[in-house]
Formats: sequence, structure tokens, C-alpha cells
Amino acid sequence: MMKAYLIYGIAVLSLLVLAEYRGWSFSQINQVKNVPKSVRDNPGSYRSVYGFYHHYTGGK
Amino acid sequence: MSAGPPAPTPPSVSGVKSMNCPNCGAALTVRTFQNAVTVACSHCHSILDAKDPKLQILQKFEVARGEDEPLIPLGTRGTIRGVQYEVVGFERRTIHVDGAPYSWHEYLLFNPYKGFRYLTEYNGHWNDVSVLKSLPTVNDTEPPSVTYLGEKFKHFQTAQASTSFVLGEFPWQVRVGETADVTDYVHPPRVLSSEKMHREVTWSMGEYMSGHDVWKAFGLAGDPPQPVGVYENQPSPLAANVVSIWSLFAIFVLVLLVVAMLVSTFTQRKVVFEGTYQFTPTITGEPSFVTDPFELPGRTSDVEVRTVANVSNSWIYLNYALINQDSGQAYDFGREVSYYYGYDSDGRWSEGGTSDTVVVPTVPAGNYYLRIEPESQTGGMRTTVYRVIVTRDVPVNSLYLFALLALLIPAAAITWRSISFEHRRWAESDYAPSGDDE
Repeated sequence: MMKAYLIYGIAVLSLLVLAEYRGWSFSQINQVKNVPKSVRDNPGSYRSVYGFYHHYTGGK
Repeated sequence: MSAGPPAPTPPSVSGVKSMNCPNCGAALTVRTFQNAVTVACSHCHSILDAKDPKLQILQKFEVARGEDEPLIPLGTRGTIRGVQYEVVGFERRTIHVDGAPYSWHEYLLFNPYKGFRYLTEYNGHWNDVSVLKSLPTVNDTEPPSVTYLGEKFKHFQTAQASTSFVLGEFPWQVRVGETADVTDYVHPPRVLSSEKMHREVTWSMGEYMSGHDVWKAFGLAGDPPQPVGVYENQPSPLAANVVSIWSLFAIFVLVLLVVAMLVSTFTQRKVVFEGTYQFTPTITGEPSFVTDPFELPGRTSDVEVRTVANVSNSWIYLNYALINQDSGQAYDFGREVSYYYGYDSDGRWSEGGTSDTVVVPTVPAGNYYLRIEPESQTGGMRTTVYRVIVTRDVPVNSLYLFALLALLIPAAAITWRSISFEHRRWAESDYAPSGDDE
């Protein structure tokens, strides 16, 4: 059991180092490919997938 | 304290002594020579005086036919701790707890030169038991405990045990129905037991044995009965692991801290873009815009986008797209900055804050720009000023928390199982929490 935990722990720490090196994170990011270069000239032509987010209006 | 069974007298001639039961005429075999004090006939269940040449009948007891067959037949020889013993006697003893009977079996073993020892069996749990030659020290503790050869044994249970079945021969005056006050103290895998009968106290020590070891020692066919539950001195299979796993966990946490320090030292944390903007929701026109291009240097790594806004009982939502101007690859995400505060009947309250941070993972090097599309609450002419800071290659704290949890879960699970094992052990004791008595 200890050997299994040792291997598991080393795997977890190795994964952590790899995650830091590769820049992994838990953020919810949507990747979009082939965004046209015209967006620089016409930013309104790009539509974000997060554009219809239900906004928090705050208050207690 | 008594010395338990008397010291054995080595036989003058080897072999066994044969007699006949005066009650039923069945052949009796005496294996302990002149050490036998009583013999129980296996046919008519008469207890006979082995010291009397006429084998006076001391007691007769009624049992159902085949009521309690020994798992190790009388006369079976086996090797325990390198010494060969023969099973010469068998008895069943019973205690009552809350009106419920609990019975265990005792096998009396004999070696003409080493004397007597016992094997006890309860629900598939076995103990190798021998009578102590010196007294343990009774400690003045609560709950009670005793110390023997430097080991402290905790009080487990005190009960009145009665003998309810006997077979074979015994070096004492055995009777069905005789009672003794039995007290057990445990320090797994050992148990110290005191038996008080007629002002005599006998101390013995048992050591837990697995059924498979017993079967192997006596060369028995088949498999031993499966143990049921947790026995009072059954060694926990996890107790040693608990200390080891937490030691290993501590080492892993140290390594985690070292990794965190190294990552903190060697990450670039390079601010590659900063810009300050303002947004007024009532102004008509396209709210989205793009920033000037900036370079993300180095290897594929993460990018932190931090937003600081002067929100005050208001919110601003920003649709971000981090776009590689060469490849057209975009990382699309939305972030909200909101801050509300006030007073109510509970006093001062606040929710949210004036900044937000997000880490975009695994972004290759290249030239990028941000497309930003702000939204805010309508009504009024509130203008929100916000600042966007883009930083290349930052440490991600949540990864360390995740790793810590991943390391903690197995250690916690093993500890919980170990605690659960001990809970089940003590649920059978005099110290069981209410409701645990079975």
C-alpha cells in the first residue's frame, strides 16, 4: 500500500510540475480557430460565445 | 494468582493410556498421563475423576448430538512456535451481554515437556494462549489498564464466563456450568486475560493468529472459517500504514513547497500589456474594440488577464478574446467585476470586489491582441473605468491546492478506515458508544 501511495504521490507531483511548465489551469476558456484578420479593423464582427452571460445584479 | 494448570509431569513411558467410561463403557484415551485431573467422555458426556482408579463420575451434562464438534479433532498434533502439541481437551465457554449469549471455544494443547497451552477461537478469530509465569502490574488509570513486559494493555471487557461444553481431558476439575469472572486487556495483537474463580486469579496472554496459520500448524484439510467482524486483539491491517502514509504525505508536502518556491522563482511573470479604458453603457455605437498587439514570449505557457474596475454598487462584464494575430487562434472568455456593499439590520455587508483575475492556459508564443467587449448595467450615466493587465507565465495556485487534495485524499481515506476498524473493535467492548452494542 505504501509503495502504491509513493508511486501515486510522485505521479501527482510530476503532473503538477508538468502542469506548471505547460501552463495548465482550471479556467473555463473557449478556443476558437481561424478568427479572421478583419476583426482588428471591425471588432464588432466577432461574436463572443460568452456574450449572453446572465449578469449578476448584486445586492443583498 | 494461581499458576493455572499444574506443571506437567513428563511421562514415565511414552504413549497413551486407555480406559473405559464407567457410565457407558466407551473407550477413553488419556493423553496427558498423570496430568489429567478430569476426563470428559465424548459419548455420554460424563465428566470423570481421572485421579480415581474407578473413574468416579463427577458430573453428567446433556447436549444435543453433534452439538459442538471441535474444528481441530482431539488427538490432532500441530506445531506452535516450533514445539509439537497435541489437542487433548476442548471446551465451550459463554458470556452473556445484555441477555445475549456469546460463546467461544478453547482447545487445550499438551506437550509432555513444555506443558499446556491453549488455542481459542471466536467467530473465526484465533488466539495462541499461554499462562503467565509472572503477574502484570495493574495501573491506576481510568479506564483500567495493566502493564506486562513493558507493554500497556487497555481494559476491554469484564464478564462472567460459564463453561457450557467439554470434551477430552483437563488438568483441573472441570465442570459444565462452572463460572469465572473474566477480564480482558488488549494491546493488539496481544490480549491479557485474568480469570477469577474461587479466590484464584489466573493470568494468561493470547496472541492473535489467523485461521490459515492454525490450519497450517495442524495440517488440517480445507479452509478455516472466515473471521466475522473485528476481534478484540485483532491487529489492524492499517494501523502501521497510517503512521507511514502521513510521514510520506509530509514529505510530499515538503516537495510541493519546494516546487512552489522553484516555480515562483523561475516563472517569468512578465507584464506584456497594460491598458486603461472606460465604458458608459448609454453611449450608442459598437462597444467592442481591440487593443494594440503585444508579444507573448518564451515557451507555451499560461497568460494571466487581470481586470481592475472602479465598480461601486455596480458591475461590468467584459467579453475577452485573446487573439493570435498570425494564426487566428482565439481564447474566448468572459469576466465580471462587481462590487456591492451597504448596511442592513445585520450591519455592514459587501459582496464581490473591484478586481478579477483569470489564467488562460497553454498559450503558445506569438503576437496577440485582445478584443474587449464591455457590458454594464443600463440606467444612469455611470461610466466605469477599468484597467487590463496581461502577464505572461504566472504560477497557478489552484494547481497546488489540487495536488495537495490529491495527496491528502488517500492518506485521509486510510486513516478513516483505520479509525473505523478501531471503532468496530471497541464496539464490542465495555466502552462501546451507546447504540453500538451488538
